[in-house]
Amino acid sequence: MSSTSTIYDFSTLTGSIDAALHNWMSPGLVLTAELVLVGLIFLTFYALLGLFLVYLERKVCAVMQNRYGPNRVGPLGLLQTIADLIKLLMKELIPIRKADQFLFNLAPFIVIIASFMAIAATPFAKGLQAVDLNIGVFYVMAVSSLGVVGILLAGWSSNSKYSLIGAMRSGAQIVSYELSVGLSLLAIVVFSGTMQLSGIVESQADGWWIFKGHIPAFISFVIFLVASTAEINRGPFDLAEAESELTAGFHTEYSGIKFAFFFLAEYINMFIVAAIGATVFLGGWMPFHIGNWEAFNHVMDFIPSMVWFFLKTFFVVYLIMWFKWTFPRLRIDQLLTLEWKYLMPISLINIVVIAFIVLMGWHF
Amino acid sequence: MNVVMFYLLSAIILIFSLLSITTRKILRAAVYLLFVLVATSGFYFLLNYEFMAAVQLTLYAGGIVVLIIFSILLTSHISHKFKHPALLNLLMGAGVAVIGAGVALYIIFNEKFTANGQPELPVDMTAIGTQLLSTEKNGYVLPFELISVLLLAAIIAAIVIAKKGKQEEKES
Amino acid sequence: MDFGQFILMRHELLLILAAVIVLIAELAVSESSKARIIPFALGLFALVTIAGFIPGETGTLFGGSYQSNELTTMMKNVLNMGVLIIFLQSESWLKKPENVDKASEYFVLTLATLVGMNYMISAGDFLIFYVGLETATIPIAGLAAFDKLKSRSAEAGIKLILSSALSSGILLFGLSMIYGATGSIYFADVLKNVSATPLIIMGFIFFVAGMGFKISLVPFHFWTADVYEGAPIGVTSYLSVVSKGAAVFIFTIVLFTVFRPIMEQWQHLIYTLAVMTMTLANLFALRQDNLKRFLAFSSIAQAGFILLGILGANGMGMASVVYFVLVYVFTNLGAFGVVAAVSAASGVETISGYNGLYKTNPKLSLLMTLSLFSLAGIPPVAGFFGKFFLFTSAAGSGYFILVLIAVLNATISLYYYLRVVKAMFIDANEDPAPTFRSSNAMRLGLIMCLAGMFIIGFASTIFDYLRNISDVLFN
Repeated sequence: MSSTSTIYDFSTLTGSIDAALHNWMSPGLVLTAELVLVGLIFLTFYALLGLFLVYLERKVCAVMQNRYGPNRVGPLGLLQTIADLIKLLMKELIPIRKADQFLFNLAPFIVIIASFMAIAATPFAKGLQAVDLNIGVFYVMAVSSLGVVGILLAGWSSNSKYSLIGAMRSGAQIVSYELSVGLSLLAIVVFSGTMQLSGIVESQADGWWIFKGHIPAFISFVIFLVASTAEINRGPFDLAEAESELTAGFHTEYSGIKFAFFFLAEYINMFIVAAIGATVFLGGWMPFHIGNWEAFNHVMDFIPSMVWFFLKTFFVVYLIMWFKWTFPRLRIDQLLTLEWKYLMPISLINIVVIAFIVLMGWHF
Repeated sequence: MNVVMFYLLSAIILIFSLLSITTRKILRAAVYLLFVLVATSGFYFLLNYEFMAAVQLTLYAGGIVVLIIFSILLTSHISHKFKHPALLNLLMGAGVAVIGAGVALYIIFNEKFTANGQPELPVDMTAIGTQLLSTEKNGYVLPFELISVLLLAAIIAAIVIAKKGKQEEKES
Repeated sequence: MDFGQFILMRHELLLILAAVIVLIAELAVSESSKARIIPFALGLFALVTIAGFIPGETGTLFGGSYQSNELTTMMKNVLNMGVLIIFLQSESWLKKPENVDKASEYFVLTLATLVGMNYMISAGDFLIFYVGLETATIPIAGLAAFDKLKSRSAEAGIKLILSSALSSGILLFGLSMIYGATGSIYFADVLKNVSATPLIIMGFIFFVAGMGFKISLVPFHFWTADVYEGAPIGVTSYLSVVSKGAAVFIFTIVLFTVFRPIMEQWQHLIYTLAVMTMTLANLFALRQDNLKRFLAFSSIAQAGFILLGILGANGMGMASVVYFVLVYVFTNLGAFGVVAAVSAASGVETISGYNGLYKTNPKLSLLMTLSLFSLAGIPPVAGFFGKFFLFTSAAGSGYFILVLIAVLNATISLYYYLRVVKAMFIDANEDPAPTFRSSNAMRLGLIMCLAGMFIIGFASTIFDYLRNISDVLFN
């Protein structure tokens, strides 16, 4: 594709760093150094992203409810979340007697490690991706299913009925909605013929799948949005922490920084889900291209790929937040009915339709 | 580096396998089992067999362990602890384990494994998918379909166990 | 591949079709008339059984994963007949108000396990073999726990699933070693590469241990008695006859074909297992009072006798094993049928409860006596010929001491089989089980058993036919 060649490829940057490091030290050390480097970058990214997402959520919520939101600390209230973070860090860690201390402390880490593993496969820009596995989509599905273990452990080891009920709910919810998420992603895998995330992005060089894939692709996008909102336990599917009945659900007993971990993981998961959705359905870092309009496509290429990625991702994030602040919470039976009686069958039929479309070559 | 990772993963697997059978709290055993399974998927990553690694993660770590933990959550209380096994049982079990491991290790180390002569298959999704649905030799469509019979029957068996008869419904 | 070749899998496909039809029929039947499913399913399965006898093509499919020949077809027909009799015998039990809701599930589960057994018998690689084995085992746990209101039934389900999980694990571990040593899971390729190296021997021992659980050979038999006692009688007879028969079939086939190169080694192993199984099971059977437990140990002992035929390791051995299982199906189902009928009518399941049964139910007592004679191997009925051919096959390969031990064991077994006969005919009882008339289906099932015991014993063509088709394994 000639038009994509003008997009800056980050692999030249990472390649030169790699080469520079190799001049300095032995290959074993280079690998270690690079591991540390990538880890540090992601940690920083996590912290900043978490802060920003919380701020964004409060602002979006305020817009929905026709108020200002945070506006005192810093310009436009931008420093509000930093203040919140400092407050959280200073708080006392309340030890729970009769809790299973080991599992209690382990649970937040499992949740956050699962999100770390998932973000490793996210393509942020052309050539900027920590690992580009040839089974990318499947890998993301696999590691994101680990997070639920942390939630279940948190609920059980707290030795509190609210936590336990919250964890059970969230477990049932995540396990069931995982299917729909997987199936809706599979729809695009059928279209693009690859599971590699970078490959899926490349396949959208002449138009994003949500446009190219006719109505079925749009249906999968909607299913993906609904199901992934449920999978990250956000409203209107936030039964796991339904504050009006369960205090705070599975993290009722957590305080201070351990609570912050759950909080952070929840927001990061939202980001990951949005990033995957943007990558698979909306072209990821691929600029907005239309078929063979060379000139138009070329103009679009001048906007850096990273900007495209974050624009789309935050668009999806905004959609998810919009959900939360407009829809009332579902009951657990409604929630399971929605998945097993509607989303699942629809996605299955959808996949068959898509396979048919692809076989007949009807897509663009 | 790969060698280091190999020993690291092996150590994780060994230690947590032992922990998972010696711990007296049932949920901890499940969590140690989770670590073992995740570390096993690390082996597949080391072998560049990402598909198998992801399968290991989804099926075992994300599926089976979650099911186990779920059933523990439903049935057991946090204060429950297993009793210490009787000393005699412990000794006999350890003896059998040591002898068994010894024999197995002796045999495996003395075996001259011959590499399979077949060409190494490219590990990409298309090849795996085609192979899964192939009806030729080394194709897996028959076991694949047979498993669907097995799963259907297993679901029905679960229903049989859980189903309430009419009489019970009236009583409750 | 040509999909017309699927006709080779006609047994399996017909069974799957029947299971699906029963499932759909369950939807169509109204809540109040669930009992109508029972005769429908019975008729359907009778058709499937008859269709199985239609001669047809044989061959291999899926690049050798699936193989059928006249022998496997015959084995599948034997199993089908056994299941048909069991269905007939469980009809009145299924009609009970607490079971009628789950009648269709009973049929579907049984058919599904039968599909698994058929694939297991026809397996051409270890993967199909293993998946078939699992399909043949796991759903039975649901059947064993069928009587929800009895805690013993639930216990049987749990014990079955735990022991089968353990044995499958052991089996799979052994198979993985064999795969590691030979580099293939296909029977044909494994056969080429198998030799008596320590790794393969170890894998083979694990394999035998795993199969030993399924066939319930001593020392892998601990689950048997408890499960047989706790499970509903229909399921117990299924476990002891069909399930065990299928496992014996594939065990024999794998030993004779895949592991033929290490025959010398496995003969030692099977020899030991045979002696242990016959002797210990007989000693245990001596002191049982519950008839289901009694029949459990008797069936373990019978499995020990079957090993004699396996030791023959030639066409004669194969034929004698299939013939014995065929006889065993009718014989053991006869005994179980009587137990089921008496239990359904009066709830009696102990030997002492059978005291004076002859006075009230002479026909049932007579059938029970014949079945027990056949199990013990007393001449007029088929069981004698079954044992005779097994002993001939073992003696033909030079195992005279083993045959002597087996004959001694058969004599011991005569004692405990006759104990039941004595209870029925001689022991006085002031309060014997009342006279009753079984349902028509039950009577049909029992008559089939009776007919089978005599026809198979006297029609020598059956054994000749089996002898002819058994050589197919040895080309």
